[in-house]
Amino acid sequence: MAELSTPTSTPVAAVLETPLWQVRLRLLLRGIKTNVGLFAENPIGLVGLGIIFLFFILMVAHPIMMKTVWDPNIYNPVTGYDPALVAHPSPPSATHLLGTDPLGRDVLSQLMWSTRAAFSLGIIAALVTVFIATTVGAVSAYFGGLVDTLFMRLADLIIMTPTITILIVLAALLDLGTIHLAVIIGMLSGFGGATIIIKSQALTIKVRTYIEAARVAGGGNAHIILRHIIPNLMPLSFLYMMFSVTSAIAIEAVLSFFGLLNIRMSWGLMIYTTSFAGYLMDLKKWWLIFPASISITMLCAAFYLVGRALDEVVNPRLRKR
Amino acid sequence: MSNILLNVEDLSMHYSTRAGEVSAVDNVSFSLKKGEAMGLVGESGCGKTSIATTLLRLMPDNALVKGGHVYLDDTDLLSLREEEMRQVRWKRISMVFQAAMNALNPVYKVGEQIIEALETHHMFATNEEARQRIVELFTLVDLDPKMLDQYPHEYSGGMRQRAVIAMSLACHPDLIIADEPTTALDVIVQDNLLREMMALQKKLGMSMIYISHDIAVIAEVSDRIGVMYAGRLVELATSEHIFKRPLHPYTYGLMSAFPSIIGPKRELTTLPGEPPDLIKPPPGCRFHPRCPFATEICTKEVPEFTDMGGGHFVACYHPVEVS
Amino acid sequence: MRRYLIRRIAQNILTFFLFLTAVYLLLDAQPGDFGDLYLADPRLTPQQRAVLRANLGLDRPVIERYAIWLRNFFKGDLGISFSNYPRKVMDVILERAPRTIILFTSATILAYYVGFVMGKILAWKRGGLLEYLTTVTGVGLYTVFLPWFALMMVWFFAFTLGLFPIGKFLDPVLWRASPVDANYVFHRMLLTASISAIVLMVWVIFAQRLNPAQRRPAVWLGTGIILAGILLYWSSTGVGRYAADILHHLILPILTLATVNFAGVMLLTRNSMLETLREDYIMAARAKGLTEKSVRDKHASRNAMLPVATSFVLALAFVLDGGVITETIFSWPGMGLTLLDAAQRQDVPMVTGALVFTGVLALTAHLLADILYAFLDPRIRYS
Repeated sequence: MAELSTPTSTPVAAVLETPLWQVRLRLLLRGIKTNVGLFAENPIGLVGLGIIFLFFILMVAHPIMMKTVWDPNIYNPVTGYDPALVAHPSPPSATHLLGTDPLGRDVLSQLMWSTRAAFSLGIIAALVTVFIATTVGAVSAYFGGLVDTLFMRLADLIIMTPTITILIVLAALLDLGTIHLAVIIGMLSGFGGATIIIKSQALTIKVRTYIEAARVAGGGNAHIILRHIIPNLMPLSFLYMMFSVTSAIAIEAVLSFFGLLNIRMSWGLMIYTTSFAGYLMDLKKWWLIFPASISITMLCAAFYLVGRALDEVVNPRLRKR
Repeated sequence: MSNILLNVEDLSMHYSTRAGEVSAVDNVSFSLKKGEAMGLVGESGCGKTSIATTLLRLMPDNALVKGGHVYLDDTDLLSLREEEMRQVRWKRISMVFQAAMNALNPVYKVGEQIIEALETHHMFATNEEARQRIVELFTLVDLDPKMLDQYPHEYSGGMRQRAVIAMSLACHPDLIIADEPTTALDVIVQDNLLREMMALQKKLGMSMIYISHDIAVIAEVSDRIGVMYAGRLVELATSEHIFKRPLHPYTYGLMSAFPSIIGPKRELTTLPGEPPDLIKPPPGCRFHPRCPFATEICTKEVPEFTDMGGGHFVACYHPVEVS
Repeated sequence: MRRYLIRRIAQNILTFFLFLTAVYLLLDAQPGDFGDLYLADPRLTPQQRAVLRANLGLDRPVIERYAIWLRNFFKGDLGISFSNYPRKVMDVILERAPRTIILFTSATILAYYVGFVMGKILAWKRGGLLEYLTTVTGVGLYTVFLPWFALMMVWFFAFTLGLFPIGKFLDPVLWRASPVDANYVFHRMLLTASISAIVLMVWVIFAQRLNPAQRRPAVWLGTGIILAGILLYWSSTGVGRYAADILHHLILPILTLATVNFAGVMLLTRNSMLETLREDYIMAARAKGLTEKSVRDKHASRNAMLPVATSFVLALAFVLDGGVITETIFSWPGMGLTLLDAAQRQDVPMVTGALVFTGVLALTAHLLADILYAFLDPRIRYS
């Protein structure tokens, strides 16, 4: 939502000659450049991005490792088993950098593979959240009245209810896999707190004069909502995507830890395996708990930091003067 | 010298910002007699509010006094320690803030906030006496004393202004600085309030400094007027002289920008250009880029603030000749 | 004020009904019903099964079943728990709910109090390194994987340092010799705490009438008297050491839950204070000659508190969730652990009961937060 001025240096004729899409593209790029610059001013955002990048590398490295260095029979995160070692779980060694879990599987391999589960879960949940929150927010703000009241009451109800509690029940009664969980979390997030904030933003957009201008020019409701209101909500929605990823990863981890999910492998599940085998309180076998827990914490924190840094870009009030 | 209350000598102050140092107040000098009402007028950003905050030493964190003295009855306020300054605040000098609505804390009752001022300066022994005093003050500013148990948001704009004025009078100050006291109000309320403030001032015998960008307001209430431009005081004279015989080109421009209800129709003169960037102010006289009479010396040397006769001070090499 | 209260209570009741309905539909709407589980005995013939289903009322339409369930709910009958058979769900809730309430309330109060005080201090001392450290700690605590964090707390304080017990509600060995049961002692503790809290609040309110100089010492005096009173009472009853045991087991869970939540409050308070300090009435307060301390504590704090109070409503759910996880790791028998257990064992009546309890707790806390907010911000009372 950066206000941009048209270039005064190029002569008017040249400006008029370039096709509209090119002008729009140039403005968009400039806007992005400014915002990236603002984002980069804040070190915490960069730290967050760095961590996400690290995990991305981890995720990408896994199939490479599996194809080249690692023997699939031993290093498969779900079905692998190393017969060479006598007692499982075994401590970190040359062949198993982070040791093995109680079922004989390589912990590092599990860790890397689970990154993919975390990312896909996070992204699906985030996309669902953004889609719902933006649409509901825009529609509530635009139409007001009963629609607005209904959605806001629903949002209040959702905010008030503890997410994990509800999901524990859901997960226990239904058979939830990654995608189901992601969609459910996305829906809860989307209809919840995010909607309220996006709606108030949409309200400020709705009363701007260019909306009136669009209506006078003959734009219908759908046109105004889609072409004017929603694009201006995008920065804020994008912001909420970040927070939504954080909560999705955290929720999945807790639910897997409780053994309530139908997921093949995730960080939470690694800890569940440990707990199930009775090694939860045994801190000598730190490799069973620490890598997974730290990964969860770090990735959640990373997305949260990026969200906070984005907050300062999107919300000019928060910028350092 | 005994009837001079305030003597400001060569006061200079700047702000440190990311873009550079802003020279907000540069070598400003003036003196104020007891019971006198002085107006400070100028465009936004000319430094008038900065002077006000400096007098009370309420500058923001990034502000620094570069030099000068502020003598209140022979004591240099700039040399006092913080605890000593706290005794001065409100008891000797108080302030009516710009947009005074916001000077009241929304979560406390108005009466409580005034009592706080009284308590801080140990003005009363018991709660009863304090309340009495507030009732007095409210009556003075024409407010219903029952309102003192209400919250600021329950007052109208004009009432809040009066409450703030009452608060500023609480500790019998010698000087009240009124910073744009009526800007946020509509014209009729503005008019009433101004008259009341003038009456109060005459009645209670305090000195006042009125700060405004609105010269009409200033003219009504001040005995003397100081004109500020780009952080410097460019002219200081009685209200009459400022209006009838402005000497500085800037003041002259200000006066001519006013249409007159009486008198012949004439074209309004406007001043071209904008006030200068105070991070890199122009050398010499800061008005020279916009001044129709500017010559080479104006671009090199800062004109002295001199008395042209009868207490009419001007800082200019080419004061306007009265034709 | 009264009108505002009535409106909020009415809204809450409405939301509660919506919640009840949602819970019922949630549990009833899964594929198949608990009849399948309950009547899974393969020795039943289809006819017997049909009769049993009719007896259980499983063949009646949803609306009817919902109405029956609601009616029972208001009679206090929530059914019988499968996993704790033959105990009634209501009994289990009544036994465990107070424990969760204590955990939740103490942790929240602790987190908010410490968070607020530290946030104020942080806003005052703005320094590069300190700010950086606190932001990092804050984010870390907010996003840390709670089961792991709880485990670390247990490992560090209980296992390594031996200061606290590793988990559970009480020490069975100690209690073998006890003449009374745990609930008796616990309820007495609850009563003590509530009465002390009320007395303290009344005392503080009266202390406001005194001059500013006398207020602080008066409050300290009051707190001292109350504490002495508590100690006296408990040592006289003879079951004091059992109460102490329960307390001993309470400390670590409360500390864990509070730590994870206080960071957010601290950061929010800091930001809120910084914003408030930019307001005009702060400059006006300084102009009146007030000391910095007075400006900060009296004027800025009250206003900075408002966004924090608002955030409390949002944070409630977070604390409740954290409570479930904390209870699990510490094997602390509260409603959170009960919920998880029941869910894992598909004990539908118990799960329903636990969910309803959570809803009631959340709503009540929400209402209290709204009242507190109205108390803090006079502008809201007249809207």
